Amino acid sequence: MRIALYVTCLVDLMRPAVGFAALRLLEATGNDVVVPPAQTCCGQPAWSAGNRPLAVELARKAIAELESYNVVVVPSGSCAEQIKSVYPKLFADDAQWGERARRLAERTQELSVFLASLGDACQPPGEFAGSVTYHDSCKGLRGLGIKAQPRALLGRVRGLSLKEMADCEECCGFGGAFAENYADVSARIVDRKCESIAAAGADAVVGGDLGCLLNIEGRLRRRGDETTRVLHFAEVLAGEAQP
Amino acid sequence: MNGNARHSQAMHFTARAADKVRNPVLQQALQKAKPLFSGKRAKAMAALPDDGLEFEALREACAGIRDRALNDLDVWLEIFEENACARGAEVLWARDGSEICELVIDVARRHGVQKVTKSKSMLSEEAHLNDALAAAGIEPVETDLGEYIIQLAGEAPSHIIAPAVHKTLQEVETLFAEKHGRPLEARTSADIPALAREARGVLRQHFLSADMGISGANFLIAETGTAALVTNEGNGRMVTTLPRVHVVITGIEKVVPTLQDFATLMRLLPRSATGQTISNYVSLLTGTRADDESEGPTKTVFILVDNGRADVVGSHYQDILRCIRCGACMNHCPVYFSLGGHAYGWVYPGPMGSVLTPLYTGIENALDLPHASTGCRQCSSVCPVRIPLPELMHGLRQEQWRRGLRPWGERLGLRAWAWVAGRPKLYRALTRIAARYLNWLADGAGRIRIFGFAPGWTAARDLPVAAGGKTFFEQYAARKRD
Repeated sequence: MRIALYVTCLVDLMRPAVGFAALRLLEATGNDVVVPPAQTCCGQPAWSAGNRPLAVELARKAIAELESYNVVVVPSGSCAEQIKSVYPKLFADDAQWGERARRLAERTQELSVFLASLGDACQPPGEFAGSVTYHDSCKGLRGLGIKAQPRALLGRVRGLSLKEMADCEECCGFGGAFAENYADVSARIVDRKCESIAAAGADAVVGGDLGCLLNIEGRLRRRGDETTRVLHFAEVLAGEAQP
Repeated sequence: MNGNARHSQAMHFTARAADKVRNPVLQQALQKAKPLFSGKRAKAMAALPDDGLEFEALREACAGIRDRALNDLDVWLEIFEENACARGAEVLWARDGSEICELVIDVARRHGVQKVTKSKSMLSEEAHLNDALAAAGIEPVETDLGEYIIQLAGEAPSHIIAPAVHKTLQEVETLFAEKHGRPLEARTSADIPALAREARGVLRQHFLSADMGISGANFLIAETGTAALVTNEGNGRMVTTLPRVHVVITGIEKVVPTLQDFATLMRLLPRSATGQTISNYVSLLTGTRADDESEGPTKTVFILVDNGRADVVGSHYQDILRCIRCGACMNHCPVYFSLGGHAYGWVYPGPMGSVLTPLYTGIENALDLPHASTGCRQCSSVCPVRIPLPELMHGLRQEQWRRGLRPWGERLGLRAWAWVAGRPKLYRALTRIAARYLNWLADGAGRIRIFGFAPGWTAARDLPVAAGGKTFFEQYAARKRD
């Protein structure tokens, strides 16, 4: 099976370690893993802003470079949702591209969903001496139904204990351009998330979407929390999160 | 300019939001209300199977009922009118807010009305009816406790079912003491019933002396010509049965075909709103007092209002008209609970308001609202009539774009970014530079504290930057070479 890793633009620029962790986890499944070299961005920022033509342009590019693989794996619920749910909608009136978009949507999987679907064949190499609390990112949770998968995978990590926070399904206030354009509101929302995290008292907060994680980490640090670590689950599973 | 837009402050959303997040009293009130709303609803929904019900199936049925009504709205409205008139009611039609006011004042004058008691009606907020009544020399008295509080305070409702949710106990105590002319007391939440008693004492006099009652309607039932009223305080019954004249003001979209449909919708309305299996009062008001009846109005008037609704029927946004005004969307909205309802600038707040306000006041007059959402979908996941609120907001975003209503900086920026993202080699080169630049800006702990390209972001948070200043693809290419 040929697996394409869709790194995502945010991981590429802001936290390459997540990409390498995902790569390591996928290679450990014994499959042929490729990082398609021309990938850039799935186009979600344009779509969120309401610019359909630009979203279509970037969707065409992504479909063309990803459609030849058996599976496309994305370490982000939000970008995976863009490909799985939005792409087919973008080409609803275009028979040819519509079909290609639907085929790609079927083959695209968020990382935790893909790894969890392998069952016992996926044994995360990571160890983590400490407790984590899991933040459910909105697009993954409510768009793709991701809830049990990352927790199941983290449960297999030696030494790790899960301490659920209150309101773990509550939005962190990121929302892409929202965090910049409505910074006051976003800050108020992420403050509530930070309070839930603090109350859970875990060593790390773990999630599956880098946007949310940067938002949470940035606010935790600004509030003076220098100790709670903020990690992508791929980093924990791959063992790249040891202190 | 659209009549609704004249009264809207939605174009000042950002400034109002900035004000609201920095208001500690408001934040205290919101923080207290949030878990109450969501907790009660969650409990009620979790108990649905005990009654042999299932949420998804139920909301499918409820959405279906509302769609059926909306798809043939003119037909159901005519059936409603025919049946309401057959039971002695009068049915009038209002195109907009000013027509509502004209009709109500005309009815009041025809019947020699001097004082009006009101139970909750958001339509009267759309019309600014209280101001118009007062200007016509008619005294309007709000009798829903929350509405009474904000009428005393000279404010607008900040929530569609809990109009005074933005007020703390202390604020209400101060307000009552001042307006009721008594000394200030120090109260705890255990004394809230005493405050309610105080309001009841004042309102009782108004109930007994009013000549006309004005109410809204949660639903209009076409087959019987009935207005259904779902309330928790006794005031609704007082307003609709004691005065000689009863005026029902409601939107044309509120019609449902049958009593059976109403019963189905009632499975989810109170549960979604307050977590109750049924509200304290459910009133079905049909026609006028019959000859052998001792109570009820001798004159009943329905004022059925368009005010922007007819244009939404048959449009891409028709689903929003399914709304049954339960408030669940705002009760689960992270943005609403950071700001309260007043920041939204017009009658309806929260996610449903972010769709309705642009549609009823003009898309160009509420540019922020469809964007002031994180896209979290908590609203659509609880909506009892399955309104795709995030998709509708997104539709409005697309329309803003198509009509050239976005700021030039955003238009240019996105276009440039997409142009680069379509050219992988250029994209790699520029992101390599960006990674180095970010790394150079970061402090020793790997954080940027002030970032000129994202001032909003760094106003409230640090920007964490990975060590090394190299993109994934740069590092990956280097590894492959080794």
